[in-house]
Amino acid sequence: MTGILSLCDNKIVQYLCACGKWKSIYRLYLCRHCYKIRCGDCVLHEVDSPYCPNCLENMPSAEAKLKKNRCVNCFDCPSCGHTLTPRATSQMVSNPDDPGKSTPKKMFYLACGFCRWTTRDGGIPDKPTVSGGWEDMENPYAARLSSLLEHYQQLAQREKAEKERKKYVRRRSHLMYAASMDKYGMVSVAAKRKGLMPPTTGTLKENEEVTVTILKEPDTTKMHQRMSSVEFQPAETGDLFPGHKHLLIRRSLRCKECEHNLSKPEFNPLSTKFKIQLIAILHIPEIRVVPGAEFRHKKDTKVTLTFTNPVNTNTKIQFLQVEGNAGEEVTAKIDVPKKELVLAHRDDATMYDEMSSQQEFKDDSRSTATTLPSENQEQQTVWLEHRINVNLGTLLQQGK
Amino acid sequence: MEYSLQIVIDFNVKISPGAVVCDESEIIGDVTIGTRTVIHPKAKIIAEDGPIIIGENNIIEELACIINKAPATASPGSRQVMLTSGCIIGAACTVTSSEDLDENCVIYGANCERRMQKEHPPAQTLQIDFLTKILPNYHYLKKPTKSSTPQRN
Ligand SMILES: [Zn+2]
Ligand SMILES: [Zn+2]
Ligand SMILES: [Zn+2]
Ligand SMILES: [Zn+2]
Repeated sequence: MTGILSLCDNKIVQYLCACGKWKSIYRLYLCRHCYKIRCGDCVLHEVDSPYCPNCLENMPSAEAKLKKNRCVNCFDCPSCGHTLTPRATSQMVSNPDDPGKSTPKKMFYLACGFCRWTTRDGGIPDKPTVSGGWEDMENPYAARLSSLLEHYQQLAQREKAEKERKKYVRRRSHLMYAASMDKYGMVSVAAKRKGLMPPTTGTLKENEEVTVTILKEPDTTKMHQRMSSVEFQPAETGDLFPGHKHLLIRRSLRCKECEHNLSKPEFNPLSTKFKIQLIAILHIPEIRVVPGAEFRHKKDTKVTLTFTNPVNTNTKIQFLQVEGNAGEEVTAKIDVPKKELVLAHRDDATMYDEMSSQQEFKDDSRSTATTLPSENQEQQTVWLEHRINVNLGTLLQQGK
Repeated sequence: MEYSLQIVIDFNVKISPGAVVCDESEIIGDVTIGTRTVIHPKAKIIAEDGPIIIGENNIIEELACIINKAPATASPGSRQVMLTSGCIIGAACTVTSSEDLDENCVIYGANCERRMQKEHPPAQTLQIDFLTKILPNYHYLKKPTKSSTPQRN
C-alpha cells in the first residue's frame, strides 16, 4: 500500500515552486523557456480530449458533453463502482417452428467481478448480444429538467449580453451586487429553508440505553450507492441499476508565464507516451537523506545527503545558505559545504555493466551546470537556483 | 521436527476422494474436506479449538486462512462461523463474528461490506475442473484418507 505513493508525496525533501508552494520533486515541472519550477497549482490545465477509462475510446468534447460525459458502451457496478463485464450464458429458448422443442441460445448479462452484482440482481433481463443495447432508466423528471436547463441557458445568455454592455461602467455597490446575485430567487429560498429546519442533534442522558441493531440482511442501499445515481436514488438493493461509466480527460499543461507546453500526452488514449514532458525529476538533481542521523539539542550532527543527476551532462552544485525568511520553519543552524560539487552525468550503460561502474569519477573533471537543449539545438549552460526544504526528523529526547 | 508434525496432520485430516489438496497448504487439527473441493498451495486451515468441516465443491484460494480458535475467555468451540451454500468471501476480507452466513452472501471490499445475491452463483464446475487438472502438474497433493466415504463417480 505504501511504497511508491509515499515516496512521491514524502515531506522530507521539498522544493520551492515559483508560486511559493513547497512540493516534492515528483510533483514539479520545469519550464525550459523561463527556467522556473512549476507545480500543478500554477500551470494552465487544458482539456485535450475526454476518453473512457475502460474501453479507451476517444471522444470530441462537444460529443462528450452531449452524452453527459459518460461512455455509451461501458457500465459501472451500482453496488461498488467497479466496471461491469459481460458474461455469457446459454438459455433454453422454445423453437418457433417446433414448439415442443427448445434450443440453447447464447444470452448475455453484466456482472461485477468484485462484489458479484449482476444485472439479474437488478431484475434486468438478459440480452442476446454482447454489447447488449442496455436501456437506460427513464428519468421521470427529464422533461422538467430540460425545460429548466433551457430557461437558465437563456438567462445566462441575457446576462452575458448585459455584462458586455456594462463592461466599462463600474458603478456596482455591494448592495447592488447582492441584489444581482439573487436574480434566480435562490438566496431567499435558501434562507427560508434554513429557518425551517431546526437542529436535530441531541445528547444522551446518563444511563440511557442505546440499542444497536446490526443489519443482517443488507437490503437497504448505502449512501454512496444512492448518490451514484442521483436521478433515482434507490432505497433498496434490488432497485440498483447500472450507470454509464464516467469519462476521464487527457490534459496538457501549459506554463502560466510564457504559455509554453510543460506536458502534452500523445492524442491516443492507448499510448502512455508524451510528446512533451518537462517534469522536474528529468532535469533537477534529486536529493535524498541518508537515514540514521541523530539530533541532540545544541550538538553538531553530520547529515549525509545523496544527489542524483538525471541529465546526460555533468552538473555543478553550489550550496548557498538560505537566510531564514519569516514564515519559514528553519529550526537548525546549518553549515553547508563550501566546496563546489560536481555530479557525474547519468550513464545508462553503467546500470547494466558492473565493470564500468567501478570507474571512479574524478571530482575536478569538466564542470558544467545543468544544460538544457534550447530550441536551436545549441548547448546552453544555465544556473538554476532552487530553495530546498529538508525535514531531517525530530530531536532526540534528552537523557536517551 | 517438521517430519513429526507432518504425521500429526495426516492423522487428523480427512480428505475425501476427489478433493484436490496441495501438499504445501497448511492443514492442522480436526479438518474434514469434502469431495471436489480445491485447496490452493498457500491456504491455511487450522482447527485449534474445534473441528473445521469443509463441504463439497469449494475453492479455498491462495492465502486464505480458516482458523477455528476460541477466544481465551469463552468456552471452546463457542465461536463458529457457518457458511451456507453460495457464500463468497472476497480477497482480504475477514469474518470473525460467531454467526451463520445467509445463503448467497457476498463479502467484499476493504471494509468487508456485505450484500446478498438474488441468485445462487453459477456453479464453479469449470473452474474446479480446470484447477483439478492443472494443480497436480505443479504441486504435490495430499492423498485422500482411505477411511472416508466410498468413492463416487
Ligand atoms: Zn506552483
Ligand atoms: Zn467505454
Ligand atoms: Zn460491484
Ligand atoms: Zn515558462
